[in-house]
Amino acid sequence: MCSAVRIAVRGRVQGVGFRPFVFQLACKYQLNGTVQNNMDGVKIHLEGADESIQSFLSDLKNKAPRLSKINEILVEKAEFLNITEFTIIESERSGTSMLVIPIDSAVCDDCLTEMNDPDDFRYQYPFINCTQCGPRYTIIEELPYDRPYTSMKGFPMCEECRKEYEDPTNRRHHAQPIACPKCGPKVRLLLKDGQEVDSENPIKDSIKHLKEGKILAIKGIGGYHLCCDAQNEIAVTTLRNRKKRPLRPLAVMASSLSSVEDLGEIGRDERELLDSPESSIVILKKNKQYKLAKSVAPGMDTIGVMLPYTPLHHLLFTDPELAFLVMTSANPSGMPILYKDEEALQYLAGITDYYLVHNREILHPVDDSVVQINDGKLDFFRRSRGYVPDPFTTNKDVTGIVAFGGQQKTTFTIGRNEQIFVGPHIGDLENIETINHYQDELDHLLKWIDTPKSLAVIDAHPGYHIQKLVKEYDFTEVMEVQHHHAHMAACIDEHQICGKAYGIILDGTGYGLDGNIWGFEIYYGDASEFERMAHLHYTPLPGSEKCIREPWRNAAAMLIALHGEQGLDLAKAIFADKVLELEILKRMMERNLNIVYAGTCGRLFDAVSAICGVTKVSSYDGEAAIQLAELVDEAIIFEPYPFGLLEKEVLTIDFRSMLKEIALDVLAGKDVSVLSGRFHETVVQAIISTMKSLSEKYPNAKKDVVLSGGSIHNRYLRKRITAELRDRGFRVFAPENTPCNDGGLSYGQLVVAAAKRSANQCVLEYQQR
Amino acid sequence: MEKFISLAHGDGGELSHRLIRDVFINAFGDGNEAMFDAASVIISNSKIAVTTDSFVIKPIFFPGGSIGKLAVAGTVNDLAVSGAKPVYLTCGFIIEEGFPVADLRQIVLDMANEARKTGVVIVAGDTKVVERGSADGVYINTTGIGVYQPNMGCSLEFEEGDAIIVSGTIGDHGIAVLTARGELGITVPINSDCASLNTMLDEVLQHSKGVRIMRDPTRGGLATTLVEIAEDFNITMKINEIDVPVKGEVHGVCDLLGFDPLYLANEGKAIIVVAENERNKVIDILREFPEGENAVVIGTIIGKEKGQLLLETPLGSKRILNRLSGTMFPRIC
Ligand SMILES: [Fe+3]
Ligand SMILES: [Mg+2]
Ligand SMILES: [Zn+2]
Ligand SMILES: [Zn+2]
Repeated sequence: MCSAVRIAVRGRVQGVGFRPFVFQLACKYQLNGTVQNNMDGVKIHLEGADESIQSFLSDLKNKAPRLSKINEILVEKAEFLNITEFTIIESERSGTSMLVIPIDSAVCDDCLTEMNDPDDFRYQYPFINCTQCGPRYTIIEELPYDRPYTSMKGFPMCEECRKEYEDPTNRRHHAQPIACPKCGPKVRLLLKDGQEVDSENPIKDSIKHLKEGKILAIKGIGGYHLCCDAQNEIAVTTLRNRKKRPLRPLAVMASSLSSVEDLGEIGRDERELLDSPESSIVILKKNKQYKLAKSVAPGMDTIGVMLPYTPLHHLLFTDPELAFLVMTSANPSGMPILYKDEEALQYLAGITDYYLVHNREILHPVDDSVVQINDGKLDFFRRSRGYVPDPFTTNKDVTGIVAFGGQQKTTFTIGRNEQIFVGPHIGDLENIETINHYQDELDHLLKWIDTPKSLAVIDAHPGYHIQKLVKEYDFTEVMEVQHHHAHMAACIDEHQICGKAYGIILDGTGYGLDGNIWGFEIYYGDASEFERMAHLHYTPLPGSEKCIREPWRNAAAMLIALHGEQGLDLAKAIFADKVLELEILKRMMERNLNIVYAGTCGRLFDAVSAICGVTKVSSYDGEAAIQLAELVDEAIIFEPYPFGLLEKEVLTIDFRSMLKEIALDVLAGKDVSVLSGRFHETVVQAIISTMKSLSEKYPNAKKDVVLSGGSIHNRYLRKRITAELRDRGFRVFAPENTPCNDGGLSYGQLVVAAAKRSANQCVLEYQQR
Repeated sequence: MEKFISLAHGDGGELSHRLIRDVFINAFGDGNEAMFDAASVIISNSKIAVTTDSFVIKPIFFPGGSIGKLAVAGTVNDLAVSGAKPVYLTCGFIIEEGFPVADLRQIVLDMANEARKTGVVIVAGDTKVVERGSADGVYINTTGIGVYQPNMGCSLEFEEGDAIIVSGTIGDHGIAVLTARGELGITVPINSDCASLNTMLDEVLQHSKGVRIMRDPTRGGLATTLVEIAEDFNITMKINEIDVPVKGEVHGVCDLLGFDPLYLANEGKAIIVVAENERNKVIDILREFPEGENAVVIGTIIGKEKGQLLLETPLGSKRILNRLSGTMFPRIC
């Protein structure tokens, strides 16, 4: 039996070699018809034997190109036209317009095989790529994605490349960055003063220098990395000293999956992540074989690892003696990743010994993404290269909404029809360099996405720079969204939770509606509104940000605020070298001088970390909390300390007695890793009893819970809170698409704004009726 | 605009800025609002500078000065940085019932001394006494009148490369007054910089035609005043953190309390923006005076597109500085 069908494929199906794939499938099953791109995805008309059509459909779903992501396949009967061949036809400019911006991808196995084949004309060519791999977003100047509008425009294709490019059956058909040694970009090795080294093989020479313990700046896909041998203690310490980065863990690139096994524990999920086209930095638990230099990740039980993701990286690992490289993004402290050659030469002078550069220009810098598997689920620390700007689809019209995010780890998010585009990781909006980087990327994506500027969304914090920045853009309306409501809404939208839910938001610092700093919140609500059901007892931060940089101050302030003279004595016993300062802190608190009040999970962790002597002064953000958490064995369930729940206007969690007991245990010389474990469990139990109390008070409330905020990266907290809540019949969700830290804030802001906008429209329509 | 006045509306920072913009300029403004410390008015064809200031300070007597000295020097400085020669002063006192007359005498004596030193004459005054508890000791308001001298003044014609000069160490007044209250148990040998600058600034204007603007960075500190200049004239200013002169003791106290010297009050400092080729000349003149012995270039104008103030840190990045904002809420996680 013969018949005809019309197939519509939606999702990431353009610019990923989908039409040649369809073409080849049709040939394989001897089917006739057409395939065509339109604004919504790919449209296929197919004629032939029923059985063949069935096989075609099954392959379409299961053997799709690795870069494609199919959201839906719609099949319907069509008129039989008796077509006699299969053809790829011109794109059609119709449909409700799904926008696709191609993303960067790690080199594929086919290309690697060719690169390692001495007979191939691209043997050892560091820029080999195809439709299934290579740079995309980072080299695009203008949409639609086409070679003349990329930084490949200055490299005219040679005859051989052009042949492949034009052949619909070739795996490089319309591979825009196609290149070979004859026509494509080239690498060069430079001395630290920028002088080119006369080198036969710059990559081989680089390997030699790395083995000698030298530091190299290497230009990759999204920017420059600083690189050295991760097993050479002196090299790593030199890198740290020169970069002025004393303790923050450095990421490592391992030569292969099997060498990763010599570093950390990898399960199926981790293996898949490491080996994916996105090729992120994956945080792994260090294992017994771990043998990198001590100063790569001091004090950490974990290590951030990635695999080589460009052909150039692979070529750096051809020497078996060099299996692990430190690969940290090259950015001067507080500034965005370097990606322009002149800037790299300027800023890295004094840090690097050599530069391994190339002449394929990076147009859009993008940092490596950082992920971990947390309680069995994907957990983004940073969503950037490999993911950005791949859109999420939602079920609301979000056109015209642009969310500007927060202050730290900032991202922005742009809405268009039913697509949500979260921009790349930008960094902290403190420096003009980072702010300019933010605006460059925002302006570009706004232009590409082309959504009207109707509603801007920002955090309510009066001191965040976005409050000023948003005024430079011409929006009809600006909406402020409470920090933790945005965190909650992001998770609600991602999991498409209907109706209301609880939001347990454990966070660093966010501006609260009462002018205090919030960050240990239990809300009940949805994307458009929330009610604050419980929070952590406020304590003073004398000197404001100073307390965050120096957690011992926050710790002392908590002890003094919660235990008066006795607290002061405890603080003096624990911070014996700060006796004078402690008296002054106390007086500042009595006189309310330069004081902010805060009840946040991040500050609580900081305080306990300082009391335990883990981190008293922080050298990078989150250090105190991270180092404290690294001490805890997630396989154990610890015994909680006592805590209180106060029935105030809003239920208030009170850790007065816990803090005192921890201080006493520290003074008694007890094992800090046990103290840390018991502290973690106390936080868990405090949340569980709060939820119990709320469930009794509101028996009809929905039993859905979303977890978010930066502290949800904490593996013990996440695992234990989830388990305990599930035992009590709750459905528990955490962010898997965007970070639970402030990197996910803009996405949540957009969701809140969209919900409020549609709620307003409903009211308006009702009133008009 | 907030519903109620908070203390932060009086700190010279962001909230003061909004209060003035939304309440006062809204009602009094004629589109020519002063971007300077004094207003210039024309009376019978001669241009006159007028300014007014109220002084509330705790403690009333502090190391290096008193509310009396401050009430004269503050207003004199507002006239002087506007390029006018201070001539007359008026003063108004609001005194709390029960205030010691001996203290009042001392305050008035301090005023008279400072007036004599600067060459202004106090020509009118007023006194009101309020019930105990309705005021805290004594408040003084002074109004100053100055005259502009022909062919002398600030051009307001900013150029890229112009130098930003500060006449000495910053934050001395803020720390002297804070520690003088004795509440914190910190004693540091720091005097307020409270001083009249008219003679010194007059000398600068006599000898340099390159001065673009002068301001005194009082409440809100150096940073707030520079942000105001940058925004009012739409210029990008960059200052270098390591070049900003701060006394070790001031640094020490700031470190202890979590303050930033850039936002502490000064009462005897001038900011002078001057053409690049005149910078050394101006520095030399300033250094001849005891109030200007630590004068130094702290930065430059780097652009004319965007009104903003940048602070170059020792690490080489450039931080954006804003006005002092009431409570400095932490922004970091
Ligand atoms: Fe947050
Ligand atoms: Mg004044
Ligand atoms: Zn490939
Ligand atoms: Zn070629």
